[in-house]
Amino acid sequence: MDLLSFINFFLLPGIVQGAIYALGAIGVTLIYAIMRYGHFAHGDLATFGAFIALAVTTALGLSPYAALPVAVVFTGIFAICIDRLFYAHLRTFPKIITTIASFGVALMLRSFVQVVWGVNTTSYVHGITRPENWLGIRIKSHEIITLVVAVALVVILHQFLTRNKWGKAMRAMSDNPDLALLSGVDNGKVIALTWIIAGGLCAASGFFLGINTELKSVMGWNILLPTFAAAILGGVGRIEGAIVGGLIVGIAEELSVLIIPGEYKVMSAFAILLLVLLVRPTGLFRGKVL
Amino acid sequence: MEWISILNYPVYLAIFVCIYGCLAIGLNIQWGYAGLFNAGVAGFFAIGAYTSAILTTPHAEGRIGGFDLPVPAGIVGAMLLAALIAWPIGRICLRFRSDYLAIVTIGVAEGIRLVARSEEWLTNSARGISGIPRPFGDLPYAQAQLAYLGITAAILLVVYLLVERQAVSPWGRMMRAIRDNEDAARAMGKDVPHRRLEAFVLGSATMGLAGALYVHLARTITPDAIDPMLVTFLVWIMVILGGSGNNRGVLLGAVIVWVIWSMSEIVTDQLPAEFALKAKYGRMFLIGLLLQVVLRFRPQGLLPEALRKTPRDGNRRRAAEDRTAPAAGKIED
Amino acid sequence: MTALLSIRDLRAGYGDADILFDVSMVVASREIVVIVGPNGAGKSTAMKSIFGLLDIHAGSIAVGGTDITGWAPNQIVKAGVCYVPQVQNIFSEMTVHENFEMGAFLRKGDYSAALDRVYQLFPDLKAKRKAVAGSLSGGQRQMVAMGRALMLDPQLLLLDEPTAGLSPKYMEQIFQISRNVRDTGVAILLVEQHAKQALAFADRGYVLAAGRNRHEGTAPALLADRNIAEMFLGG
Repeated sequence: MDLLSFINFFLLPGIVQGAIYALGAIGVTLIYAIMRYGHFAHGDLATFGAFIALAVTTALGLSPYAALPVAVVFTGIFAICIDRLFYAHLRTFPKIITTIASFGVALMLRSFVQVVWGVNTTSYVHGITRPENWLGIRIKSHEIITLVVAVALVVILHQFLTRNKWGKAMRAMSDNPDLALLSGVDNGKVIALTWIIAGGLCAASGFFLGINTELKSVMGWNILLPTFAAAILGGVGRIEGAIVGGLIVGIAEELSVLIIPGEYKVMSAFAILLLVLLVRPTGLFRGKVL
Repeated sequence: MEWISILNYPVYLAIFVCIYGCLAIGLNIQWGYAGLFNAGVAGFFAIGAYTSAILTTPHAEGRIGGFDLPVPAGIVGAMLLAALIAWPIGRICLRFRSDYLAIVTIGVAEGIRLVARSEEWLTNSARGISGIPRPFGDLPYAQAQLAYLGITAAILLVVYLLVERQAVSPWGRMMRAIRDNEDAARAMGKDVPHRRLEAFVLGSATMGLAGALYVHLARTITPDAIDPMLVTFLVWIMVILGGSGNNRGVLLGAVIVWVIWSMSEIVTDQLPAEFALKAKYGRMFLIGLLLQVVLRFRPQGLLPEALRKTPRDGNRRRAAEDRTAPAAGKIED
Repeated sequence: MTALLSIRDLRAGYGDADILFDVSMVVASREIVVIVGPNGAGKSTAMKSIFGLLDIHAGSIAVGGTDITGWAPNQIVKAGVCYVPQVQNIFSEMTVHENFEMGAFLRKGDYSAALDRVYQLFPDLKAKRKAVAGSLSGGQRQMVAMGRALMLDPQLLLLDEPTAGLSPKYMEQIFQISRNVRDTGVAILLVEQHAKQALAFADRGYVLAAGRNRHEGTAPALLADRNIAEMFLGG
């Protein structure tokens, strides 16, 4: 196989898919860092965000890209509401109980989408997009936008966490929660911020999954495993890990069809997850041991 | 005998309660006694279902089979294969933290589903396996149902009694000790990994049993006949609602949840056609909401485990030192 | 000198159990007072009680005349008392400068004056301001911890075994720095296992044993007393 084929059929799709996983994985890893539990509703929250964007697109006749910011903000705020309703009162229990609750929230989000939009597959725009051809690399416009927006979101998040007072407060909370509280950091505010960010990134992740593939009610649940694999591979609590992990899982998934039958593609994320947990559970960037 | 047909629906309901009761007890062994978060319940259910189907059906073109064994052999085979597959999974994965184990078991269940979907030589892929024998299947409908209820109820009773006996035995006490304070148990010389594996394999075998019971009722099996995440979730909420760690509790949970689930189907069936389909998904929303309500108001379940009043209360001694940070939740599971 | 910190007949402990029995102490402004005593004497307990981390069953604690008995830590901070725990006292994943910024989290407005003061007290850290705190040596990490606590311009600084696990060189440095801190107008109350070395730098000391006051006096006096030295200060 020549380089161009490799790039066009494996590397590029892998990077695009990887960006989608990375956006979700950052949220998962943030929730692990601040609240110290696994959030199993993450995939279905992405589904929710994607369909909110669809609703805005169809209701207002906008381009889907214009609907994206709306979906991001809405899902971020919605995530805070989910926390207040279903997770907040479980904070004094062992964390696994909250994970179980998130399992239930996942089902609720998925079935909500099914009730409102049904179970059929749909998409933001109908019709086929032609790929552009740049020096032999065939890339579609929505793939370019996916990568650009993903990078932009990561940069904005990085700036927030390193320059903003509350961003630093979040890092402090992740680093040493007792000391952060002693320093006067408001636990509630940090948690709310975490949900806004995680929820917004979920919406972006779901949106780009929808625009690069298709929209269906189980789309988010289907990427839960790769998203968690990416977060754990990178090291739980490490944002740079979530990004690298996402890209690795995305590319590995695309490459896996060279060795395993296509139907089992999604199991490559499983294989990565198992390998990480067995060989180096703290992941690439040495994540937290919770 | 017309009057019997009035019982059709309750009998049908009761059969499913027995099948789910087996699943719930299986999960209770894993989660309630051993603290193992198995989110792949549907996978072992599927293994049991397909195994029994393959063992008891006559020859079919293009897939392995032709064993044509009697139903009891199918059931035993189902349990054995479920246990056999659970064993290596347990050996490798039970050391993981609870939520990591959950994600891994989700992956396992997904893998099993993909195999059922794709491996035509084994499962006949999407077409599935049909013509599965049914004990007393030749009787008129109502009597056949009653007979099957008798079988499943009897099997459930046996399972319940066996597991209950284990639960109150030293084995059960040891399992709970390991679950609640693994380090102390290890210090006392208990072989923790081995015990956990026992619980995992036993629970999975029970789930395989439920799968076999299902498949001989339905007489066909296809990969998409059951929504795996729905089955897994229903069993989980049965265990949590009923009271994890308590066999009577989880059986009560099975009754309540299944009745709610079935009643909701009746309700949505009454709706006009265009709403009925979408409303069916609303049933799952309801079940998800039910879990949140239970966790909010009665997290220990309806029939809590006898000795404890609240769910896993690990690391109480930390509470005194952690006065400044109860909300940061440093308590590990 | 009016007492900055005044503890009277304090009974405190974890939950219902008492560890301290009728302990009394005073700290005046601009002085270094050290609490010493054998293991299990309740030294750290005394410190944690002052900062509201334990249950107080009887007695009172006052800062600058205000009764702070039973107050929560974040309120006590506002009363001008800052606490440096023995372990996990820095944000090890954040830079030195960010640690100080987090120390100033509760401040409103410009805190560059406080930042300058802290860098003057710890000149070594100025060069390392962009270094990740967890990568520094034990002594430097302790300095970060102290600097972080000083960012709120406290009147009283509580140090829980600041030299635990440090080399003799860093130990001296920490004690010297404590004197510099005192000279900027901050009172220091510290708990120390290395009693003799601490008393060499302190102004006054309290000896606790089995949760009770045993001796008190000026640091030189305590050091000179042979009995005390043998029984409580490790010979």
